[in-house]
Amino acid sequence: MISEAGRQAKFNGLAEAYGADLYRYAMWICGNDALAKDLVQETYLRAWKALDKLNDIKAAKSWLITILRREFARTFERKVPKFTDVDNVVVREEQELEPEDRMEIKLLRQGILNLPPKYREPLLMQVVLGYSCEEISVALDISKSAVMTQLFRAREQLKSRLQKDGVTGNVHELF
Amino acid sequence: MSMNFSEFKRLLGAEPRSRDPEFLHARQSSPEFEAAAAAAEQFEARLEQSMMIPGPDGLTEKLQSISQTTAGDAGHRRRWPLALAASVVIAVGAAGLTWNMNRGWDSVEEYVMDHYRHDGNRVMAMAGADETVNVQAILSELNVRAVPELAGIVGVIKYCPTPDGKGAHMILNTEAGPVTVIYMPETEVTDREMLAFDDVQALLVALPGGSAAIIGPDQRQVSSLYGFIQQSIIPLAGKS
Repeated sequence: MISEAGRQAKFNGLAEAYGADLYRYAMWICGNDALAKDLVQETYLRAWKALDKLNDIKAAKSWLITILRREFARTFERKVPKFTDVDNVVVREEQELEPEDRMEIKLLRQGILNLPPKYREPLLMQVVLGYSCEEISVALDISKSAVMTQLFRAREQLKSRLQKDGVTGNVHELF
Repeated sequence: MSMNFSEFKRLLGAEPRSRDPEFLHARQSSPEFEAAAAAAEQFEARLEQSMMIPGPDGLTEKLQSISQTTAGDAGHRRRWPLALAASVVIAVGAAGLTWNMNRGWDSVEEYVMDHYRHDGNRVMAMAGADETVNVQAILSELNVRAVPELAGIVGVIKYCPTPDGKGAHMILNTEAGPVTVIYMPETEVTDREMLAFDDVQALLVALPGGSAAIIGPDQRQVSSLYGFIQQSIIPLAGKS
């Protein structure tokens, strides 16, 4: 039986290790800063209460993501919120970029937000959380080949969008 | 058997940073493969840059504070079936349940009880963990605002599900102690209907835009807030 201090130390470690990743993930699934913070806080509240069920610390990240996804589905099962402010959250980081690069990033973000959820979510898991195709397959309960197809199509759609919008920067060289 | 270019491009699109030996071998097999892989890496770098959102300042500390404010609470939440009907008293408006929607809850009364049992204590516990409470930002998403007298006593506010979409769950720090208010932007209620369940009282309030449930341990306490809540959640201009 873990002591109360041990529980707190374990929990604090999870907050430090995964809090920012969960926030990023939440931002990309709900597109709203206040909502993302709320989702992450709710996730950690539930995690704190269920901490004794987490036996393998290596599984902590996927455990937290599962809680967050369930919480998002539970809260917004009937009405998915509008995306509002991804750009507002990140814009301060990008003042040093060249205008052309900023444009590419802006278009990519719009493209990501416009991806169908079945393409966006595996892409988020891979790029934001660093999941492998196998891990995504487990998290989403679909086959690995389906994951690979969705990832491939997600990237194809993003590239098509950049092409369509006539991006002339670095990404243009890819096509 | 070696990978053809079409297969290679498909793998590149699915897992551009793959360390699979077969993939790496194929990459080195011809300039065409190598060029495609280099271009994919370039795209990936830009994609990662696009998706990299900085974590909010103080996020870790805020999350860590959860364990301090709720220490000792291992989360043995009361379960819904717990003597459900036995403890429910509809004191006012007993003529009938307010509305039926067949979308998860059969009535607003059932929703209020279910939601409070599910989230009431946990949200109450969050009140101490919240450093900044952005009442107006959340309420404006729901097309209403709080008068300053209300905004000033909100200890915690969070989005929550309601029978008709997104709503807000607030804890008010009143002189008589903390009180829960659930704002339901799209839900109609029977005004002044009082529910008693478990150890709390809930008063339903019809508002100019939507409705609210005021929930607290004492009937007088929640009743005394009826007029205040009714006048303090105001539709934004152009909304009704």
